[in-house]
Amino acid sequence: MHTYTEKIQNLAKDVLKQGKAEMVIGFKQGTIPMAANPFVAKNENDADNLIWSSTCGLNLANYLPGIKKCEGKIGIIAKGCDSRNIVTHIVENKIDREKLYIIGLPCTGMVDKKQIALLFDDEITQFSEEGNTLIVKSETKEEKINKQEYLRSNCKTCTHRNPVIYDELVSDLVEEQIIEDQFADVKKIEAMSSEEKWDFFDKLTEDCIRCYACRNACPLCYCPTCFVDESGPQWVGKGQNTDDIKTFHYLRAYHCAGRCTDCGACEEACPMDIKVRNFTRKLNKDSLELFNWEAGLDISQRPPLDTYQPDDPDDFIM
Amino acid sequence: MKIIKIDKKEWEQGLDKSRKEYHLFGAVKDKDYYLIQALGDKVYPDMESSDTILSPKSVIFPQTEKMLTANLDEAQDNHHIMERVETDYSPRAVLGIKPYDAKAFKILQLNFDTEEFKDPYFCDAYAATTLVGLAVNNPGQFDFSTSVDTGPFDETDLDVLLIDTGNEYLAKVITDKGENFISKCGFDNQTDEKNALETISKLKKKAEKAIVSTVSHDKLNGKTILELYNAPFWDDIAFSCINCETCTYVCPTCWCFDIQDETKDKSCIRFRNWDTCMSRLFTEHASGHNPREGKTQRVRQRFMHKLKYFPDKYDQGLMCVGCGRCVKHCPVNIDIREICEQMNS
Amino acid sequence: MGNLLEHVGIEKERVHFSWISSAEATKFVDVVKKITEKVRALGPNKKLKKQYN
Repeated sequence: MHTYTEKIQNLAKDVLKQGKAEMVIGFKQGTIPMAANPFVAKNENDADNLIWSSTCGLNLANYLPGIKKCEGKIGIIAKGCDSRNIVTHIVENKIDREKLYIIGLPCTGMVDKKQIALLFDDEITQFSEEGNTLIVKSETKEEKINKQEYLRSNCKTCTHRNPVIYDELVSDLVEEQIIEDQFADVKKIEAMSSEEKWDFFDKLTEDCIRCYACRNACPLCYCPTCFVDESGPQWVGKGQNTDDIKTFHYLRAYHCAGRCTDCGACEEACPMDIKVRNFTRKLNKDSLELFNWEAGLDISQRPPLDTYQPDDPDDFIM
Repeated sequence: MKIIKIDKKEWEQGLDKSRKEYHLFGAVKDKDYYLIQALGDKVYPDMESSDTILSPKSVIFPQTEKMLTANLDEAQDNHHIMERVETDYSPRAVLGIKPYDAKAFKILQLNFDTEEFKDPYFCDAYAATTLVGLAVNNPGQFDFSTSVDTGPFDETDLDVLLIDTGNEYLAKVITDKGENFISKCGFDNQTDEKNALETISKLKKKAEKAIVSTVSHDKLNGKTILELYNAPFWDDIAFSCINCETCTYVCPTCWCFDIQDETKDKSCIRFRNWDTCMSRLFTEHASGHNPREGKTQRVRQRFMHKLKYFPDKYDQGLMCVGCGRCVKHCPVNIDIREICEQMNS
Repeated sequence: MGNLLEHVGIEKERVHFSWISSAEATKFVDVVKKITEKVRALGPNKKLKKQYN
């Protein structure tokens, strides 16, 4: 069991008992290995089901706008990226800070489930972790691997593991990573020619089935009607046409500009293992380079795309 | 019943012979995972593969399928008249399909191919297709096929069932379509039926015994629709759902589609796409009213359809073949087995 | 906007931004001339052009 599990359960029980919040959003153990199921604990008994593990890779901030019936506060377990998306929700007036009771969780990274699955020819039947060691079993073999080597790629370059906003913490803050070159992956694409770039993204999106799991796992995507679902006018065709598929991915990315916290939920959710962060990463790099901006760090700051500063970069204007 | 012995060394050679008449489909490793694909020259199906992410339903019922075209040029005689598009329905064979995935086509037929209504696109594609199954000797942990009236050796909708015995396949030829395919491959080493059936029966028992995942649904029939519909657990089940469409797209038995028209200049095309009850748009009326506005209603619909409405209407068991794809690929781990148990309890 | 388009393989010279007041007719003409020259040099665009058939 992860050392955080018991602490989360105790904190949640206390929060519910003392009425600090009416419910606590967290994860419960999944029904299959390496799965965690987002779950809402409404009473102390429920709180016994809360868990933590390196497979809790979805972003719980995604569930906040959907909660309609809650008189009191909403409790939420928030790792670094979740907390940044909570900040984004607050800044975008999706939810009041006052409405939340945030249990901050200093994170040590989430694992790349698909990469771990590749170590095996057969299905993984058991997964557990002891500190930094992951113990993964299938019918035919057992692997003990170092968690740091199997982190999701967004966790490898994460510099905000600690929650940026919280009412209480699950543990002491962890040391933040120092990343020498945060955008090496983006630079690699930037160095390509136009044709190479085009082919790269062609190949990237070729297996997309338009299930919209990337969009729906993303806390930023809360529009009542998404542009792909509009019928008058219909902005994007609905078939498996490659240009329509790419249009969806480009526009989804634009909608995340200056808002994306690189939480990786989109890639985590994709059933076809499409690395959709290749789109948003470029925008994150630009936000940082052009506006010195990282999303969701401070509830008193407006994001660059809804403010104007006289010194905003304008060299693209001819 | 004819049983043919196929030496694995001759398998690919046989497939090459069949290519003169058949387009071949099979599981191919693409990037890091398996997909069902049309096999180009010298490409062979990976018979050792685990489940493909998407089921083979797309071979007969593609995600996007052209149906009709029309010419909008009023100078032409046939303008504005919808005509069926020409589609290649020459023989095709799906190789190594899992028996439960094949059974799913029987379920799809209840929608597309009935006495009263025949969907020409589905029927023509189905008629053109030979299903060459591969018995599952080592079922995975997600496989609960034996709980839902099929199983690792189910022959219900197969034309040929291959059984892997190590160095060779035993090919149980089930239909005339199957007979034709096997003969076009040049496989003709007929083997002693009694011995072969015994081997097959042993492997079948072993495989069925190896299935660890089960689901009970015996009490669903006795419950009323309203009892299940109004059950208290739906909000809790639906809480974690992000309303993506993965479960319905990976499902071999989900059959809903949506029809779209696209027009450019003087030409118009009508096509259909897989649709999904997970989407809000699925039930939105032109007035703006939506009978399934919230995700709880949509999640409930999916499970009620598969586990209650369908069995009640058709009396053919559940609308599920136990492949486990939705369990494996759901980003938030909503597990149909758990929900079925909850509904059944 | 332009940066992501360039990033996914649309040639930089195809997408231009300018700020022109309704009173700046000559600037408008200049900009349009420059753009057409640049785009003509690239030739016809084949990307993101949906094939309907």
